[in-house]
Amino acid sequence: MKRQCCVPMPNKKVEQPSDKTELFVDAPPDGSEGSDSDSTDSEESVYSGLEEEEDTSNASEEESDNEEAAVEDSDEDSVPPAEEAKPTRQGKAKGGKSKVKKPSKQSQPSGSLENTAGDTHAASTSQSGADEYEYDSSDEEDIRNTVGNIPMEWYREFEHIGYDLLGKKIIKPEQGDELDEFVNRMDNPDYWRTVRDRLTNQKVVLSDKDVQLIQRFRRGKTVDPSTDPYAPWVDTFTSEVMIHPVTNRPEHKRSFIPSLWEKQEVGRIVHAMKMGWIKPKPPTEDEEDDEPKFYNLWENENESEINKRFNQHIPAPKMRLPGHAESYNPPPEYLFTEEEELAWKAKEPEERKINFIPKKFSSFRLITAYPRFCNERFERCLDLYLCPRQRKMRMNVDPEDLIPKLPKPKDLQPFPSTQALVYRGHAGMVRCISVSPDGQWLVSGSDDSTLKFWEVATARCLKTLHVGGVVKDIAWNPNVTLSLVAAIVDCDLLVLNAGLGDKLIVSNTDNILSSHTPTEENSDAGNKLPVHWHTADGKKWKEGHRVKVTHPKALSQVTWHGKGDYLAVVMPQADSMSVLIHQLSRQRTQNPFRKPKGLVQRVLFHPLRPFLFVATQRYVRVYNLLKQELVKKLQTNCKWVSSMAVHPGGDNVIIGSYDCRLGWFDLDLSTKPYQVLRHHKKAIRQVCYHKTYPLFASASDDGTVIVCHGRVYNDLLQNPLIVPVKVLRGHTMTSDLGVLDCKFHPTQPWVFSSGSDHTIRLFT
Amino acid sequence: MSFLFRYSVADTPFSVPSNVTTDELCDLINGLLKADGSDGDGRVAFDFLIGGTFLHSRLEEHMRQNDISTETVVEIEYVERSPTPEPEDSLLHDDWVSAVRAQGTCILTGCYDNTLKLWSTSGELLLTMPGHLGPVKCVTWVDSGDALPVRTFLSGSHDETVLLWQWNQDTNAVECVHACRGHAGSVDCLAVNPEHTRFCSGSWDTMLKIWSAVINSDEDGQLEEHSEKPAKRKKMDGGTKIPTRVPTMTLSGHKEGISSAQWVGTNEVYTASWDHTIKMWDIEQATEKSCIAGTKVFFDIAYSPLNRMLVAASADRHVRLYDPRTSDGAVVKCTFTSHTGWVSAVAWSPVDEHQFISGSYDSVLKQWDTRSPKAPLFDLTGHDDRILAVDWSIPQMVLSGGTDNHLKVFRVSNPAPKTKAAGRRR
Repeated sequence: MKRQCCVPMPNKKVEQPSDKTELFVDAPPDGSEGSDSDSTDSEESVYSGLEEEEDTSNASEEESDNEEAAVEDSDEDSVPPAEEAKPTRQGKAKGGKSKVKKPSKQSQPSGSLENTAGDTHAASTSQSGADEYEYDSSDEEDIRNTVGNIPMEWYREFEHIGYDLLGKKIIKPEQGDELDEFVNRMDNPDYWRTVRDRLTNQKVVLSDKDVQLIQRFRRGKTVDPSTDPYAPWVDTFTSEVMIHPVTNRPEHKRSFIPSLWEKQEVGRIVHAMKMGWIKPKPPTEDEEDDEPKFYNLWENENESEINKRFNQHIPAPKMRLPGHAESYNPPPEYLFTEEEELAWKAKEPEERKINFIPKKFSSFRLITAYPRFCNERFERCLDLYLCPRQRKMRMNVDPEDLIPKLPKPKDLQPFPSTQALVYRGHAGMVRCISVSPDGQWLVSGSDDSTLKFWEVATARCLKTLHVGGVVKDIAWNPNVTLSLVAAIVDCDLLVLNAGLGDKLIVSNTDNILSSHTPTEENSDAGNKLPVHWHTADGKKWKEGHRVKVTHPKALSQVTWHGKGDYLAVVMPQADSMSVLIHQLSRQRTQNPFRKPKGLVQRVLFHPLRPFLFVATQRYVRVYNLLKQELVKKLQTNCKWVSSMAVHPGGDNVIIGSYDCRLGWFDLDLSTKPYQVLRHHKKAIRQVCYHKTYPLFASASDDGTVIVCHGRVYNDLLQNPLIVPVKVLRGHTMTSDLGVLDCKFHPTQPWVFSSGSDHTIRLFT
Repeated sequence: MSFLFRYSVADTPFSVPSNVTTDELCDLINGLLKADGSDGDGRVAFDFLIGGTFLHSRLEEHMRQNDISTETVVEIEYVERSPTPEPEDSLLHDDWVSAVRAQGTCILTGCYDNTLKLWSTSGELLLTMPGHLGPVKCVTWVDSGDALPVRTFLSGSHDETVLLWQWNQDTNAVECVHACRGHAGSVDCLAVNPEHTRFCSGSWDTMLKIWSAVINSDEDGQLEEHSEKPAKRKKMDGGTKIPTRVPTMTLSGHKEGISSAQWVGTNEVYTASWDHTIKMWDIEQATEKSCIAGTKVFFDIAYSPLNRMLVAASADRHVRLYDPRTSDGAVVKCTFTSHTGWVSAVAWSPVDEHQFISGSYDSVLKQWDTRSPKAPLFDLTGHDDRILAVDWSIPQMVLSGGTDNHLKVFRVSNPAPKTKAAGRRR
């Protein structure tokens, strides 16, 4: 457009620039005085024409930028090359319009020669010196080619490229073939600055000034080299408040009065709100929508292998930072005293809190070399090298959760908890106690060679029997229709009539005993066992003695069968006769085991079935007495069994041992203990079950009786529930012995315990 | 704080400070009495009740503890303070005193040396009666009082018999009239019906047996002929013939031994047992009427005709108050806790509906007021060992026997006539 504007201008000035403007097909004449608006316009044109030859167009732009200085050059340049170029560019000369490009040497002459319209201009070109950017030519029409601003490829098929002012076809200038192009490139020193005019298809050689302009343009400098970007700033409109304002009129009174209109408007809105015409906008999702939405760039990050490693990076162990102790001049409290130093030296290197002795140096230069430097470096290297590079999955398990949930003892009432009565009267330690099956009487055997019968409720000693020896064990007949007590005194088994309770029962018992006396001798003889039955008479009978069975060796235990006719005794020293079973009604003795396996500690009858439990030091064997075979062998896992008790249901057994363990066996479950309790601090002397309540107790040498809740379920799938509920203290320790025996009351949740302190205690 | 106080003469609301103590209130009332001039007998000690509970602490604390509003007018009831029982006598026995019962001027005690002893209230040993073959567990009087020349009483023992005795007051001669046989366990309790015609006995054999208490020689003769083991009985009775009597009725229902029985009204017997229950029996129909289930073994119960309540002593530290009339008998109305051992015996006051005593294995006898469940009124010490039996049949006499072979007698000077001091005042 600039070129267009040039054309009609008769001025020299006009002409001059018009020449140059031709070049501006490609480049805007920004650099010059040309206004901003010009440059923008030119840009459009530039783009339209630059499509084919960017490089050259750039060059042309540069040229077009040239100013005065360039003008001179162009004069010189223009002449000679122009002539050369002439022949090749008729078209251009034709459409070259009046103005020949000042920078282009070829075009200039062509313009001057051929362009009729541009003759005058040709002269003007030669004038040179004129500023091509002196005025704005952007609005002028390009008169060399009248096709206007159209894509020039539309003319590709034609041999003309447009129409001149007169409407004649502008014939395309001859295009050399590739060879010409090559030769041209090789020979022509201006080849690099030769561009093709878009509109006229003429070759244009850019002037130095144009090139310079383009170069500056590309570097981002001001196009005009004379422009000083750092010129001192003239502050036309100062930011400082002037002393003298432009107007000093005071503010109008009106500005202080509230606006009546606003008041009315507000009133109207308030009224509308009161009337419910205006409702507050319900909060919608818009608010949420307002929040910017982001694409989660790192959504899938964790899955990647790299990230996994990255996230689970385990840093190398860090070295401890030096503290005061490491200082060369530590505070005195960090320095070792002599004892500390000795202690430090005495310790193993691994156990030391710090691995050096803090030392004090009066000055920095006195510090000696640290002798363990190499060792420490080496250790550090080991640390780094051996640092575990694996993440340990730490189980975050609360230890509390691992403990099985047990009901609180409070919820397991009733159980014995306090001492209620003390039965005093014995002069020696009370080894054994037994409660009558109806729970009214208690019998106790003691080291003072006496048996005592007590009234449970009042702790009254009703009877004392002297038996002439230490009473090792005592057992009240479990049959309520008999009032018999079996006691072990050294080698003798005494069967006594308690003589308490119902008179009828007492006399019946005597009748039963006496009725079978005759059969005694036969059976005894047949068995040929060194066991002798004696029936008491006279004074002994009056005292209550009924039957005495003498054995060859000392006895340790007696137990009744549930029916009350059979009783088993343990004779630990008698090898092949360590367990004997007596039948009271027929006064007969059986030896069930030819050869016992181990030292027999305890025997017990199964409460319901014809089984016999035999506890040796480490095992409990269960024999079927009818079939005469071993049914089960329980491994107690303890060193020396001291006591045993069978649950009234018959399927559970507890074992007390001298190594403080109490083992609960579920016969249906396993031959190993279902649970082992280690609550006692010393040897367990006795264990017992309650007949009706789910309780069992253990008596120990540590002077305590521990009562546990032991519930057995009928459901075979449910394991017994065992909860220790109470530690009963009361007995005092004498000669390293505490509680020697404990027995439950048959009907009440009470437990009796006898101790080495000559007392029997009742806990309720 | 306002305090309304109405007296028969002065009907004035009083304002008292909130931190007033019982002593100060006592002074206030004494002052009022003086002012009225109605009483000239010096200072009288009072106890104060607010809403049925005794005031022990300061008024303020008490009201806070019991959530009584301080904004309203508080009614404070006052009763003359029951005087402290004085230990009066200590009667020495040969063995444990397991049973004691007083009537009129006589005290009957049962002893573990198989004897009964008869004492006068002044502490004189009138008689020692051997007869039982086992320790005596229970004694009771059959007749109504002193007026009769011949007194009858009963004793039950470990030897499973109940002996019915007759004692001629004038000649001081005693005779065992009947031996009541039938129990198969030690007889632990006896109770006589109010008409003195029948008695019941509870035993360890879980049976409750009803017997006739009437002394009728003809009947006895018959029974003697029917008795099956004359030889043995003769032996037991030491050669003298004692007519045997058999029970008229046997009631079974308890699962364990009966420890205490109380005859209530004409046809009702309450029994307490070791099986943790108190049962009420209808004697007329010979059935069990209702049952109170406890949690511990019952050793003793006592029934008061004044308030128709039961107190029960059980094998723990508590004395429990039951109302037998409630349909669901399991409810314990009140628990009195102060003993440290088993409570072995309880007895109601014969004149005061609120007071009872309890004897325990911790060798302390306690006097209680039902309105003061937190603390007993008095601790009566004196025993060196367990208390086995207590009695409060004579209003002025609290008796307790124990395993220290002593029968302790405490003199209770009963509060002056109730109409005057214990009347409800505001």
